[in-house]
Amino acid sequence: MPIKSYLAHPEEGQKETLIKALSKIDHCDVIPAENEELLIVVTDTENKTDDEKVKASIESIASLKLLAMVSGFNTPKNK
Amino acid sequence: MRKRLGIISLFVILFIAFIAIWNYSYQLGLEEAYIPIEASSNVHAIPSESGVFKRSEHALDYEGMPIDENHQRSLTTYYKNRAYHGAPPSIPHPVDEHQNMGGQSCLKCHENGGFTGKFQAYAPVTPHPELVNCKQCHVEQNTQTLFKTGNYASVVAPKAGVNNALLGSPPMIPHQIQLRENCLSCHAGPSAPKEIRVSHPERVNCRQCHVPNNKEMTAVGTFKRAGNEE
Amino acid sequence: MQHSLTSRRNFLKKMAAAAAMTAAASMFPGIIFASEQDANLPKGGNLDWKKGPCRFCGVGCGILVGVDQGKAVAVKGDPNCSVNKGLLCVKGYHQIMCTQAKDRLTHALVKKNGRYVQTPINEALDIVANKMKETIEKHGKDSVAMYTSGQSTIPEGYVASKFMKGAIGTNNLDCNARLCMASAVAGFLTTFGADEPMGCYEDIDHADYFITWGNNMAEMHPVLFSRMLEQKNRRGAKIIDFATRTTRSSTASNKSILFEPQTDLAVANAICYEIIKNGWVNKSFVENHVNFSKGLTNMGYGLEDKYKFKDKPTKIDFESYKKFLENYTPEKVAKYSKVSVKDIKYLAAIYGDPNKKVVSYWCMGMNQHTRGTWMNNLVYNIHLLTGKISQPGNGPFSLTGQPSACGTAREVGTFTHKLPKGVVMNEKHRRLAAKIWKVPYERIPSKPTYHATEMFRAVDRGDIKFIWTQVTNPLVSLPKTSRYRPGMEKESCFVVVSDVFPTPTSDVADVILPASWHIEKSGLYGNSERRTQHWNKMVEGPGETTPDAWMTIEVAKRMGYGDLFPYSEENHVEEIYKEYTQFHEGAKHGMAPLEVLKKESGAIWPYVDGKSTQWRFNAKYDPACSNDKDFHFYGKPDGKAIIWQRPYEPAPEIPDAEYPFWLNTGRVIEHWHTGSMTRRIPVLHKAMPAAYVEFHPDDAKNLGIRNGEKIKVSSRRGSCILPASINERGLPTRGQVFVPFFDENMLINDVTLDAFCPISKEPDYKKCAVKVEKA
Repeated sequence: MPIKSYLAHPEEGQKETLIKALSKIDHCDVIPAENEELLIVVTDTENKTDDEKVKASIESIASLKLLAMVSGFNTPKNK
Repeated sequence: MRKRLGIISLFVILFIAFIAIWNYSYQLGLEEAYIPIEASSNVHAIPSESGVFKRSEHALDYEGMPIDENHQRSLTTYYKNRAYHGAPPSIPHPVDEHQNMGGQSCLKCHENGGFTGKFQAYAPVTPHPELVNCKQCHVEQNTQTLFKTGNYASVVAPKAGVNNALLGSPPMIPHQIQLRENCLSCHAGPSAPKEIRVSHPERVNCRQCHVPNNKEMTAVGTFKRAGNEE
Repeated sequence: MQHSLTSRRNFLKKMAAAAAMTAAASMFPGIIFASEQDANLPKGGNLDWKKGPCRFCGVGCGILVGVDQGKAVAVKGDPNCSVNKGLLCVKGYHQIMCTQAKDRLTHALVKKNGRYVQTPINEALDIVANKMKETIEKHGKDSVAMYTSGQSTIPEGYVASKFMKGAIGTNNLDCNARLCMASAVAGFLTTFGADEPMGCYEDIDHADYFITWGNNMAEMHPVLFSRMLEQKNRRGAKIIDFATRTTRSSTASNKSILFEPQTDLAVANAICYEIIKNGWVNKSFVENHVNFSKGLTNMGYGLEDKYKFKDKPTKIDFESYKKFLENYTPEKVAKYSKVSVKDIKYLAAIYGDPNKKVVSYWCMGMNQHTRGTWMNNLVYNIHLLTGKISQPGNGPFSLTGQPSACGTAREVGTFTHKLPKGVVMNEKHRRLAAKIWKVPYERIPSKPTYHATEMFRAVDRGDIKFIWTQVTNPLVSLPKTSRYRPGMEKESCFVVVSDVFPTPTSDVADVILPASWHIEKSGLYGNSERRTQHWNKMVEGPGETTPDAWMTIEVAKRMGYGDLFPYSEENHVEEIYKEYTQFHEGAKHGMAPLEVLKKESGAIWPYVDGKSTQWRFNAKYDPACSNDKDFHFYGKPDGKAIIWQRPYEPAPEIPDAEYPFWLNTGRVIEHWHTGSMTRRIPVLHKAMPAAYVEFHPDDAKNLGIRNGEKIKVSSRRGSCILPASINERGLPTRGQVFVPFFDENMLINDVTLDAFCPISKEPDYKKCAVKVEKA
């Protein structure tokens, strides 16, 4: 059950569009910065393949300039 | 000849004009001094409302100001300077000019604040710079002894951090606001006591979210329907 | 272990977010994240934040309600909602506290021998249904009525309309939005042929000037006002306050201009005169997109029962409109409006400057006006003449006071003349409604019956023998309650009141039904900027409280209309919304699907191809424009908006020797409408415990009145005793007094006049003549 956090840089002036696009993706939380052109994205998925899918769909957003992973966790699978 | 005549007549005209104007101004000078009375009374419009926005032009500066942690005031030192909460603070430093009312000299530091090397502190900002007879209410402390001790009842001053009704909801105003209508003067900037310094001075319209928690000096209680005593 | 597993996951998610925040802070020192608000909350407060719209005004702020073990314990602004961006006002932050009030209505109460007896809700609904059926059998369909609200959710309004118009077959359905928005609706329909603002709140981020017409936004729409203040501080945008009373908004504005009540009509015309005289008319816009018309004048004021009026529009040309305006030179208007020539020219110059973007805002000052429709038309005239409309930062914007005055009252159409799409007078619209409702088309009557004021006059006369009110408190909010309270107390009318708290209206009820509050049910609202907002039920209501929509459905079932209401109790909100959206399909009014509304903080209609339309009528933004021009006012058959020739006419009652003061009524920031909710929130009650009568200090001095002294305010209709307030919250002009109407213990509406705008039928609460004396 991977949980990962990223810093997402939007294209110039497209922060709102990026927030909208990101919030439409399942298993994906957005925390926009109030005073900078930057977003934090936290993904929370059931397994590795889902995680890769989510990452792929995030990366396919046009208003996204750069996505940088910051940290990742994996919860134990036996619970 | 004609030329000379022309010049003479020109001077005659100028002379007559001079006499006329001089006469007119002399007559005007004789009139009784008259100060017109303004027909409309000059009501100081709703001080409790306009006060809120008084320093709002500085709000963006406040927002950007770094916090000087080594020289901040705390609520304890803030209250220590007052006989009871809500009382006018006394002047905790020596005053050079004893003759004047205070407006000119006090406002130099207390109108907009700023760091004073001598006292190693930021000057508090007055919420009412229009009242210039400062020493009418604010006096120096020139002795530590008392004439006679007394049993002054001590009033518990409002505490910070306990005035919200719900988790995370904006705190209510726990003090009277007369003469302190301008929130930003005490709640923003480097001289604001650290416990009550607002994190969002740029919001300006303070009483959109923070309202006084009582109107009268006595508790209001909760809403009761007329005729339905219960 | 599900619980600990989720909390562990939540913990890890927070850790992940925190790590990202630290990384971000190293790149951008001083960066702020909205969710840092969470950090201030006590640790271990295992709060579950649920999204919804605020319960109160029409701004429609997004809120997050913190729920802990099934109880709502906290509220914060939704940082992802573009309306308020995380900010609320003092009412919003404390709204959930009212639900805990001790006198909450938790069970149905039925009046037996003069006393209220607690009754199981099923029995109470039986009584309501039987009484309604019996009344119809004895006195006909038009002897029963329903009076609902701009606070009803979309499903609640929809089932009320279907029940009254589709099932029973009467147009005796109106709502309290008649008292606040009807003039705005009539204004939109007459000028553009399509209701609701063309712009959106984002205009605030673009405009250079905000001109507020009789609108104290700092107290009534505080979150929008804060957005304006932010633009004022950061960009130097200017706020001009045009009003009859100095308020908090005036003190925060760049300029405050005061006018004599009712003369706003003349000033608006004078502004148009100046615009034309100085050649500031946007000629190509006017040629391509505007027609000129005039209507009837001397319409009267609706003071007599069964008053009828129908406007007769006549087309005119620009020249005759220009000629008409010659009566409104600034010099002439300054004489009676008490606005200086300089100020009129100043206002005109702002609107006339082609390089400045201007938004006009208004709410009750213009709508609660015996010439409210005209006043709305006149402000549109200014924007149409200058072509400043339907563009980011340019446009007229009518604000609303109730959370779903747009979404429910106007879009679902809980007015006597309305259907979910169109009006009852139109056969095509009736056929569409009948088709979707699956009822015989003949059942929907083609004639409107009673608008709000007339409905309560009919109750008083004995024509209506059964009335059911939902989500509203007419005996505090109607004008001239001194007539309508005794009217509703009469034996001739059976009164059913659905509410959350006891009110002066429930005091006269025969049956009181306990309603679920806001977050105790699922629902949808529609705010002022055409934004539809959905929320899911967040907590359980106490006792036998039931959602209003479900009570209506239960009564309909008991009356034999069950097949028209095949909804399930758990899921009726979604089922009803899906049925309702069929009415609005298409590019002009398409509504966002539920799936979108559940994820996002609302979406603006027309919602076309997965996109909100922020500026209607502008081809750049609005896919419904189809005339190949820059603008298309498609509400009118020829695609052109109308500039209306509307004169100044005096108010119905003007101060005289016996009643020398104007009476103006309104709200304060702490209380919302009749205060039945906000007064039960301790924080708000303590800040504003009672109503008051506000004087100009000069008037107070002349009358020898001191602050706090008890004053009797009386008119030809009734009186009310209140404490005086001098130079506190507001400052009326000389010769005017102001009273907020929230206080049921000091009913100022006993004093007000029930005159209304003949076109919109909206009453004027802002102007009548009173005398004041020490009580």
